[in-house]
Amino acid sequence: MTILTELAGLPGVMAVGEYSYRGDRFSHKGQLDDEQARMASIMCRATTMSVHMQSEILGSFSTDCGFNPARGWIVTGPRFAVCVVANVFCFLDKTAASLNDVLGIMRTQLDGAPSELV
Amino acid sequence: MADLDRLMNLPYALAAFQFSDRGELMSSRIADDCPLDDKALDLLCHMCVANTAIATMQARGWERITATEGFYPIDGFTIVGFEWSAVTSGNFGVVLPNDQADYQAAYDALAD
Amino acid sequence: MIKRLLIVDGVNVVCKFRDDGALVEGYGVLTEAEMGHLAKFAHDYKRIVQGNADQLSMFTQLRGWTPPAGWVVRGQSTAACSVGNLVCVVDVRLASLTEVMRELTELSHW
Repeated sequence: MTILTELAGLPGVMAVGEYSYRGDRFSHKGQLDDEQARMASIMCRATTMSVHMQSEILGSFSTDCGFNPARGWIVTGPRFAVCVVANVFCFLDKTAASLNDVLGIMRTQLDGAPSELV
Repeated sequence: MADLDRLMNLPYALAAFQFSDRGELMSSRIADDCPLDDKALDLLCHMCVANTAIATMQARGWERITATEGFYPIDGFTIVGFEWSAVTSGNFGVVLPNDQADYQAAYDALAD
Repeated sequence: MIKRLLIVDGVNVVCKFRDDGALVEGYGVLTEAEMGHLAKFAHDYKRIVQGNADQLSMFTQLRGWTPPAGWVVRGQSTAACSVGNLVCVVDVRLASLTEVMRELTELSHW
């Protein structure tokens, strides 16, 4: 089972997707149409790039910085949240999803994902 | 409102912090065995505020273009680092080790 | 060639960076290592601005934002300005940002 299939089957997961770090390729499952998934990929790619740069800056100030390199990020709104680890994104309904379950699967499955392409 | 001592009671919490709307560190608690210091936390706070601002722009654009609601306004940003995560919401945040992080409990504590 | 930017009032440092962020050449009042950091920052920041401009285009459905030609980050006394693969650090009290950006734009084409 791919990570997208596994995540898409969790309660409260509205949509999941995977995008390439360079270029416009992406795949997705759930309640987003192709154009929305493309936009989500653009947004997630941009934020991932920023977070990686910022983590490097944090890391440059100390040799023992557990934030660097960044593995992902989460943003939360009143009802929905977006979780990203490596190049996989997941849109959640906070009222139905378990953040810990989603993050747990993403972190485990994407543990060895390379970050040099970010 | 969250308070730092209560945030430090989250299991395995490494640090808890409060920051201004501009991202300046206002107060902190740091566990004895944690190598973070106030200078690093101050930078972390600026990072979280910066990303919350970007995410707010994204949420605004997304909701307008997709005619949906539920993302705006962004109330929290979390970085999942290599070993640690920093969970922030409002003007407070907590640093947790990834392997033991209970993200939901952190958000719940920050929302209290 | 880029060294001539140092003649412009207020310009303290100028660097050229590769598409992978490595320093190609740099002149001014920073050490080689510091210029390396500046080059890396400018490269990363260029990509972030590009990413944000893409999103602005996407959300506003207007094309005028992309590709971004450059950026300026202005502090109280110092600013970083970049066009293409060039970045410079200027003293905002002495420099005309218009002149700096014009020179950067011209030199970025070389």
